[in-house]
Amino acid sequence: MNRGAEQPADEDLVAAILAGDAERFGDLVDRYQGRLVNYLFRLLRNADDAHDLAQEVLVKVYQALDRYDPQYRFSTWLFRVAQNAAIDQIRRRRLKLVSLRQEVDEGEERDWDLPSPDRGPYGEMRNRERGDAIQQAIDALPWEYRELILLRHFGELPYEEIARLKQMPLGTVKNKLFRGRQMLKDKLQDFLSD
Amino acid sequence: MNTPDHDTYREWLHLEADGELSPAQHTRLEAHLATCADCRRQLQEYRALDGLIARGSLPVREDFKSGVMASLPVVGWEARHPRTWRFPAAVFALFAGLAAALVSFGSEGPAPSGLSALFAVAGLLRAAVQAGAGLLAASWKGLGMAFGDVMSSPLSLGTAAFLVLCLNLLLISLIRRRKPAASEAAVPANRKGGNGKNAG
Repeated sequence: MNRGAEQPADEDLVAAILAGDAERFGDLVDRYQGRLVNYLFRLLRNADDAHDLAQEVLVKVYQALDRYDPQYRFSTWLFRVAQNAAIDQIRRRRLKLVSLRQEVDEGEERDWDLPSPDRGPYGEMRNRERGDAIQQAIDALPWEYRELILLRHFGELPYEEIARLKQMPLGTVKNKLFRGRQMLKDKLQDFLSD
Repeated sequence: MNTPDHDTYREWLHLEADGELSPAQHTRLEAHLATCADCRRQLQEYRALDGLIARGSLPVREDFKSGVMASLPVVGWEARHPRTWRFPAAVFALFAGLAAALVSFGSEGPAPSGLSALFAVAGLLRAAVQAGAGLLAASWKGLGMAFGDVMSSPLSLGTAAFLVLCLNLLLISLIRRRKPAASEAAVPANRKGGNGKNAG
């Protein structure tokens, strides 16, 4: 039995789960946890909240699995649920979209520190600057660009799925992603040569 | 197809970085890149941007998956699924087969055919249903009295409620039938506890 040779499609995993093999949901979690947590992390800007909400989203999806329509991609459905949950949470908690710098200045704990690929004090500092700059650049994007950039770069969804999720024409998605990425590139120009 | 202008190639660059160009567009862009240093630099910057964002990824906590799996609730579609009925159906089939075998081999005289055995089983079932219905009708009054007894005393009412609750829990656990590993998995992500964000 050569199970590892070819990864089953999401839709096949869902069918297996609905047929009684609930443990296969773990395969879906493995497949999407990184993208989901990072997508939510960039929306909520808090690692703990992102993990908690990602867990809630996965549980919610599991509960509604029998209502999943296989004519759509599983990832489209998952990220739609995630986006709605994140927006609800932002509204509920009245998350203030203050700048990253302001929060640091106020002395709050920085819980978005990312593992540093650079070693040494200078490397750590540069990594921190880079992390701050990425978040600031994303936050500075108008929402219509930001949501697409997050779905593309952190959710890793193909354009067609983004178009379906946002119910936009494919051309509009391409155009908005082009503009959004251009804005990001301009803001992060200093770090591109790192 | 007309030759795309420079602006179109510029728009294609980000599609190329995302792997969204068609093979024909990709070939055209390759040819253009061979002659346009500005577009080559732009493409390099797009790829550098993607790399920069990828390096800023948050690692997922090690206990995330086990937390999710341990949090999965019993859901309606599990109970509705045929696997829930597999065991009772198998028991019914077993008893039906056993009864058919008894009728086939236990009867005197010439051995009945398979069809007549099935008719005999159907007759037995019908007789059992009739007997059950008669018994129920006869004991209806007795059931009513027993129910009245249960309702009359808080202790017996509490005992009955407890038994019903136990039976429900037993049923739920039978329906779920999770592997021990999933339920014994790590405690759901403790957000404030160990401040174990960014594990790894």
